[in-house]
Amino acid sequence: MALRLWASSAANALKISSSGARAAPAYSISRYFSTVLDGLKYSSSHEWVKHDGSVATVGITDHAQDSLGELVYVELPNVGTQVSQGEAFGNVESVKATSDVNSPISGEIVEVNAALKDTAVLINKSPYDDGWMIKVKPSNPSELDALLDSDKYTKHCEEEHAH
Amino acid sequence: MSGGARRVLEAWKLGLVRYGDALRLQERLVADRRASRVSDLVLSLQHPPTYTLGKRRTDHNLLLPEVELRGLGAEIHRTERGGDVTFHGPRQAVLYPILSLRTIGLGARRYVEGLESAMIEVAALYGVKARPGAAGETGVWVGDRKIGAIGVRISSGFTCHGLAFNIDPDLGYFKHIVPCGIADKEVTSLRREAAVELPPDEAIHDQLVQSLARTFFFSDVEVKDESECADMVCLSAATQS
Repeated sequence: MALRLWASSAANALKISSSGARAAPAYSISRYFSTVLDGLKYSSSHEWVKHDGSVATVGITDHAQDSLGELVYVELPNVGTQVSQGEAFGNVESVKATSDVNSPISGEIVEVNAALKDTAVLINKSPYDDGWMIKVKPSNPSELDALLDSDKYTKHCEEEHAH
Repeated sequence: MSGGARRVLEAWKLGLVRYGDALRLQERLVADRRASRVSDLVLSLQHPPTYTLGKRRTDHNLLLPEVELRGLGAEIHRTERGGDVTFHGPRQAVLYPILSLRTIGLGARRYVEGLESAMIEVAALYGVKARPGAAGETGVWVGDRKIGAIGVRISSGFTCHGLAFNIDPDLGYFKHIVPCGIADKEVTSLRREAAVELPPDEAIHDQLVQSLARTFFFSDVEVKDESECADMVCLSAATQS
């Protein structure tokens, strides 16, 4: 109980909790100080997905936004576009580099985050919340099983750094 | 870093290559790199006069109509790289590293910082004190004058496009654009900034490659020269017509 309260207030301090009556998600800090949230699934290319009933929300992780630097431009596809697991659906541009963003799941895009058009930096400030990128109607929810949970993703980040 | 493991960077010296041909070659090589058909490599080349725009299509930073720019003998290309408008031409060293970021253990920002530091290191060989751009500014600067530009694309952790370092290009071409979208700043070259005589361009290309290799912890550079690479470039050009 105490741990959950601590996590919740820490989550609030880092502005990663969401609005509404939902409890702040539990999270862990990897050794490399990027935030990884429990309850989300992750791809090895640093995207996260949150499956809520019939819709899955997708974005890039705290680790990803940190390694990109400040974002200045986000290119997103149109609503109605089909995406496939592991394939690029759009890209983000930081001051110096344009990087593809891959979809962790297949399905049809039902919503894109219009706020990113003018404020790409939302992704840096709030990668798991205000900086969400697309919402997808999953065509094959079992694909989520192939993704990493928060522990495995944290390990993955740590391994990538161990060069 | 794993001790003692040999990590080789291949350097492909291509000479003068048209922008479109280099683009197609990079596309093939990124696919090859993804499939592990090639190892980490860097293309080292120069372009004929060419203006390029990045993904954001900042056409407003072209100060002359396209037809007039073509009249000056330049090509114009719209690309998928990051960054704003720039000019490439003879006597400008262009390097396109095709690397796996996962293998070198870097994210996008630190990769770009590595490209900047390679250019800064080479400038220093000629007594020129260069620095990375201020916040929000890309590239490499000497005082308020830009000597090197960067525009990178990353797909699933593989890099393409890269850097352009002004050895002694015709700086007049830069007058017709707002370079990298940064107004009121001059463009300069190693020739202008250095008090010493410069060696042939090839030597400077080699120094940039060596500096890149060091920056990204490669232990060796293996050079493939024009004769070995020419058929690769032609193959890319031929399959695209």
